[in-house]
Amino acid sequence: MTHLKQIEKALFDAAKNLLDAEARQALLDQSCNGNPALRTRIERLLALQEPAEEFFNVHPLETDEVKEPQDGTGITPVENVAPADESAFAEGPNAHIGRYKLLQRLGEGGCGVVYMAEQQEPVRRRVALKIIRLGMDTENVIARFGAERQALALMDHPNIAHVLDAGATETGRPYFVMELVRGIKITEYCNEHHLDTRQRLDLFVQVCHAIQHAHQKGIIHRDIKPSNILVTLHDGVAVPKVIDFGIAKATEGRLTDNTVFTAYGQFIGTPAYMSPEQVELNGLDVDTRSDIYSLGVLLYELLTDRTPFDSKTLMQSGVEEMRRTLREKEPQRPSNLVTTLQLEELTATAVRRHVEPPRLISLLEGDLDWIVMKTLEKDRSRRYETANGLAMDIQRYLNNEPINARPPSKLYRLQKLVRRNKVVFASGAAVIIALIIGLGTSTWFYFKERESRQAAERGRANETLLRQQAEARATIAQAAMLVGQNRFEEADRLVAGVAFPETVLAGETVFRPLGDWAATQGRWQRAVEYFTLLVRVDQMETWDVATLDYTRCGAALVASGDKDAYERFRRTAIKHVASTSDPVVAERTVKNSLLVPADKTVLASLAPLAEIAAKSVPEANSPTDNEPWSGAIAWRCVSLALMDYRRAHYPEAIGWCQRCLSYGTDNLARVATIHAMLAMTYRQLGQSENARAELAQSHEIIENKLVNGLDAGGSGNQGFWFDWEVGNILLREATGLIDRNHANTTGYQPMECRGGEGFVTAIAPTI
Amino acid sequence: MAHEAAGQTLQPTALVHEAWLRLVTEGDRSWQNRVHFFRAAAQAMRRILVDRARHKSSIKCGGGQDRLNIEDLDLAEATPDDRILLIDDALARLEAEDPESARIITLKFFGGLTNKEVAKTLGVTERTIEREWAYAKACLYEMIHEEA
Repeated sequence: MTHLKQIEKALFDAAKNLLDAEARQALLDQSCNGNPALRTRIERLLALQEPAEEFFNVHPLETDEVKEPQDGTGITPVENVAPADESAFAEGPNAHIGRYKLLQRLGEGGCGVVYMAEQQEPVRRRVALKIIRLGMDTENVIARFGAERQALALMDHPNIAHVLDAGATETGRPYFVMELVRGIKITEYCNEHHLDTRQRLDLFVQVCHAIQHAHQKGIIHRDIKPSNILVTLHDGVAVPKVIDFGIAKATEGRLTDNTVFTAYGQFIGTPAYMSPEQVELNGLDVDTRSDIYSLGVLLYELLTDRTPFDSKTLMQSGVEEMRRTLREKEPQRPSNLVTTLQLEELTATAVRRHVEPPRLISLLEGDLDWIVMKTLEKDRSRRYETANGLAMDIQRYLNNEPINARPPSKLYRLQKLVRRNKVVFASGAAVIIALIIGLGTSTWFYFKERESRQAAERGRANETLLRQQAEARATIAQAAMLVGQNRFEEADRLVAGVAFPETVLAGETVFRPLGDWAATQGRWQRAVEYFTLLVRVDQMETWDVATLDYTRCGAALVASGDKDAYERFRRTAIKHVASTSDPVVAERTVKNSLLVPADKTVLASLAPLAEIAAKSVPEANSPTDNEPWSGAIAWRCVSLALMDYRRAHYPEAIGWCQRCLSYGTDNLARVATIHAMLAMTYRQLGQSENARAELAQSHEIIENKLVNGLDAGGSGNQGFWFDWEVGNILLREATGLIDRNHANTTGYQPMECRGGEGFVTAIAPTI
Repeated sequence: MAHEAAGQTLQPTALVHEAWLRLVTEGDRSWQNRVHFFRAAAQAMRRILVDRARHKSSIKCGGGQDRLNIEDLDLAEATPDDRILLIDDALARLEAEDPESARIITLKFFGGLTNKEVAKTLGVTERTIEREWAYAKACLYEMIHEEA
């Protein structure tokens, strides 16, 4: 058989690669001589080849069928795509989204992916299609995406890429289609074409107008950086266009994502462009002025080829350091920065601006310095109020008119002095005294009044819900950080005080470790709260992510003593996974649902799941190929044993238990669980001696573990805390069963037996 | 999370996260070699994807659990989730006849490995994998097509 297969494969391959129809026929004639069956088969396969390719091409995980870009971080724009590129995709099918044919993957940002696509009807043109990444299409995100898309569609500005269309795929992933901007980053454009300062400012003013337009429509960009502003040529005139208003922003609290990641040492986003308030843990109140700051950074870079704070340095120093820098450290003035450059760098920078080095410095000095520094103020109330304000000041500068950004007042200078020398000015008294001595009191009062006026305005602008949401997100972010530092107690306290108006996706990484920690502290109520939240978050995904979370929840519920809650929980869990064919999910659900005896309906609903799990256990001693580790099988046996026990199929239960032990005894939690079950089963079969022996064994293992303490982590190998808890729960049941019966022979209360239909239910003691 | 390395690079999507969890928590980590590991990973992903597809798909399991009801289905119009189910179903049958091809499909389609990665794992040339993959797809599609 294999011989024939190999021939078939080789022939198929050879014939497939012969593009010439005649040559193909000739090949088949020769090789299939006298074997018409083979020929038919090959021809059939060849015929199906194209639809087969097409069929396999639409894939939920983007495969290497769709071309990958070199740089995956920002959106890499495509410059002047030549027709030659098209032929690379002309043969073979391409993926479609809606009525757009995907041509090439351009890049990704945040939670979305961008493709270059082709629209056929009603007009044939190339567009940019942005679609939410897999795994991000939850209701929450989609709703925000929709709202944002609406707002985007309202924008109509020559310097903003237009939204052309929007929709959702069959699988419910939203996407929208934008004008494809063929251009290069604004900074690159300016440098490549050696634009002088004046010309750069002209372009920049247009960008300001675009951002102003967006602000008026209620959109904050939040991610202004060169790669989001492309310059294209329209009739020979350079036009900057702002792209990417933010699939990234359509997610819950982008800042939260950042901060959560930083707990693991990863950072998303360009820190050099983030405003101080964006970088704070409180994602509260990031408003249009945050965009102004980013515009300032852009301006800085256009003028000097550098950002106020170096990206690399920021990221190297770690999150805390980075936050501190952005919050407190004063950047150098552009003119200053330029003077500190090495001669070659200075010359290169000047050349790119079509001037001599000394002229560059003098150009920057004075007004331009002040404009830039005003936009980069840490205190956002000191920045330009609007993008237009910034644009106008620049216009004034270009027209040699006096600008608004002026040299700072004495009070201002004093504040900066204080910032730089915190230690010296630690005592508030020193500040007040200095203030009173240094200035007229009238100036001081003026500033005080201005502050309070602005505060009142801010207060009015906030809605309660927004605040709650933001608070929730911020709390999660802070808690995540604390968790990352193993400060569980504090994280727990922090989270306890906050109401969660909606379940936050990022909460998943916080609820799980906090729940684990609470469990090992024996704080069962708290643990249950966390795991309930966690399970809710899991359910926001369309399938059961991390079914171990259900195990956590189940174990915690039983341990907390809330019978009703556990009942509800297991019914929900069973309903939720009813249609699974996955033995792992099936097996875990069976186990989670039988921690406490169950009635006939529950058992009946679990029966199909048990079937699936049982079927997946290979014959004893057969080579395990697809299921490589015995550990998984062993756990399956545990669940099946439990199922049979509850169904009163005692001999079968024993069979599963022994099977489980045959796979090894290194996982103590599992072994203890098995012994407990064997104890109960033997007891039911009337073999008291064996029952006692098993009980003693289980007891010993668990005692040992409890003495040495459960830790919140644990590994799969040595058993997670919930594995131990399950063992403990069953041990208690076994103890109750066996010892009570022993008590029975000495004249105590008899164990309750429910007869009828030949099965006996033991009532487990106070669970 | 106490049992995850602090230096984890990417935030996995939920899918990969679950697959990883299963691989890691099921105890042994006694994978004999790369092949073993990748096959197991691909299998895990397969089950998860199939489950997810089932939730969303319009092809309901009629009557018994096994047969998919695809009489009136136009294959070209099938949604990705439908396709996953069809492929999974046919794959189960293919495994009996041609385990080699079935394996390639699992690694490539469900595991998402590139040709290069599969080649490296199985210790053959990339060209071989291209050949095998093309053949496997055609075979499997034929099986699916016959059912429809």
